[in-house]
Amino acid sequence: MEEMILKLKQEIIEVLNLEDVQPSDIDNDAPLFGEGLGLDSIDALELIVLMEKNYGIKLQDPAKGKEIFKSVNVMADYIQKNRTK
Amino acid sequence: MVKDYVILESDRAVVNGRVLEHETAGSAMLAELYRAHIADWPKFFKMDTLSKVGFVASELLLKELGETRHEGEEFVQSRAVVLFGTTASLCADRNYQETISDRDNYYPSPALFVYTLPNIVTGEIAIRNHYRGETSFYVVEKADAAQMAFHLSCAFADTVTESVLAGWVDSRHNDDFQAFFTLVRRDELEGLEDRLKTIMDNLNI
Amino acid sequence: MERLVQCIADNVVSPLGLDSASNYQSVKAGKSGLQHYEGIAMSKIDRMAVDVACKRLDIPSDRYTFFEKILLVSSVQAVRNSGIDASSERVLFIVSTTKGNVSLLGSPAGFPGERVLLGVAARQVSDFFGNPNSPLVVCNACISGVCAQIEAMRALKSGRYDYAVVMGADEQSQFIESGFKSFKAVSDDFCRPFDRDRKGLNLGECAATVVLKASDSVPDDCWELVTGAIRNDANHISGPSRTGEGSYLALMETLRCCRPEDLAFVNVHGTATAYNDEMESIALYRAGLTDVPVTGLKGYYGHTMGAAGIMESILSMYAVRDHTVLATRGFAVQGTTYPVSVSPELRVTDGRQFIKLLSGFGGCNAALLYRLNGTW
Repeated sequence: MEEMILKLKQEIIEVLNLEDVQPSDIDNDAPLFGEGLGLDSIDALELIVLMEKNYGIKLQDPAKGKEIFKSVNVMADYIQKNRTK
Repeated sequence: MVKDYVILESDRAVVNGRVLEHETAGSAMLAELYRAHIADWPKFFKMDTLSKVGFVASELLLKELGETRHEGEEFVQSRAVVLFGTTASLCADRNYQETISDRDNYYPSPALFVYTLPNIVTGEIAIRNHYRGETSFYVVEKADAAQMAFHLSCAFADTVTESVLAGWVDSRHNDDFQAFFTLVRRDELEGLEDRLKTIMDNLNI
Repeated sequence: MERLVQCIADNVVSPLGLDSASNYQSVKAGKSGLQHYEGIAMSKIDRMAVDVACKRLDIPSDRYTFFEKILLVSSVQAVRNSGIDASSERVLFIVSTTKGNVSLLGSPAGFPGERVLLGVAARQVSDFFGNPNSPLVVCNACISGVCAQIEAMRALKSGRYDYAVVMGADEQSQFIESGFKSFKAVSDDFCRPFDRDRKGLNLGECAATVVLKASDSVPDDCWELVTGAIRNDANHISGPSRTGEGSYLALMETLRCCRPEDLAFVNVHGTATAYNDEMESIALYRAGLTDVPVTGLKGYYGHTMGAAGIMESILSMYAVRDHTVLATRGFAVQGTTYPVSVSPELRVTDGRQFIKLLSGFGGCNAALLYRLNGTW
């Protein structure tokens, strides 16, 4: 899980172009949206693409993203349980 | 003498005739200028090239003008952003097209798609400065000072508009771009075409 | 003396017809151009019908892309109806589009690569008319069609030009469809503007043209383009403002030239996405337009992008002349925080002016006001 979380953080930093952010800067339990990383609605849509592209998870309802993208931990857990690749 | 202008090209940045120092070129130069002169708007790194160029050029100009940001509701409503170009979002169009060309690697990117609208650069500048005035992007066949001066003058038909952050911005590839920005005030419309011409003579467009 | 701007001819090319009158009659009768295609509901123009129209209008169809052809079919008919000499240097050509020939990036179909440049595509059209001026392309996302008319109005009032041919169009392609889908903004089913159960927009194809004329006075029973404004939310590049800021400001600027009670209706953007319709309801409420009839046309055409501002203005002109507020197809149950006066039925009106409102990506919003001069 540790390894998976680090990989996920690296993927998030890359697809969302989070310049000057290191994986260690992202708290596993801190909210991804709102304060902190300063992510917005387009970032949320881009995370949906990331989940499909890298883990084969199709998310039709963007509102569901709200729960899944609560924190890196929650997101990693969801991916672990639902990944198809 | 022409004042209040910025020129930004693939390997050159000029503010009111003063050449800005930089070690890199192309997209790397944009990031270098951002870090050296702006540095407090991480959204910059999410932008496409057209928006990066327009954003950096507008920031350099506003810094030179010494304007205070968000200076009251009346001011932010009176400031328009009107840009021109020939390539528009071509660069972003190509980048987005790549995400949908391969059937086995088909992952349309919303973050790339949004920039396939060339007026997004005017929105980025408006958001940064809280400008609530008119924002417009006009695509033309070629850079023509007379055509630009005419349509910039037209912007003042809106009686709320007191000044226009105006410019030219083109980008054929991520490392190939040309832009100039200037500020046009309501009481300085006379001779606008000549002023634009003088700036454009210094630019490879 | 200030010059006034009059609309002297118009045309709409869509799946519902190749002229404005047939489009209006279809919409009034409740017909929609939307159809179910594989995996999507959309309103598409029949390619063959366009080629037949090209032949009838002496447009050499093999020389032009589909986007250029629909612009030509629409503008050639409008210009002929207007009787103006479009080859004069006193005529300005303005094209409104969001993506023009972008489909050439995926399949060039034998056209030179530079045709994806919007200025080059627009020149194909103005060259057909032999117009010597460099055409202006307005590329302000979904509000382009209203912006193009506002810019034409200003250019005519300045005295530089006597006429403006203002046309708008967009071709639907995988490029646009995949992009809007990636934004989760597209509904599988027919769209439901302002409805409680709205699930997103439909995309649509259309081309529309107005011919505007500068004159010292606008005769009775003729259309005057009175005013218009463009304002930015300064909030987000894709999400509409939660306070409807830009739309509110654009509406207020437009209302400097008319009283709400004189409006026949506001023709809204009404894309049927959750955010857009909610935002518009807030802007209308803040502008004091809660009691003014509101009507939206996306249920008949889908979102026609570059054509929307022009086609929706034209149908609004036909509706006012017919004392009618068109029904908002797809609407059943109020579904916005602030109630607006929207209806699935035709309504009667004696108003002689209307506002056309649009908003788009980049945080941009635009409104314009048309007035039918004189009295009933």
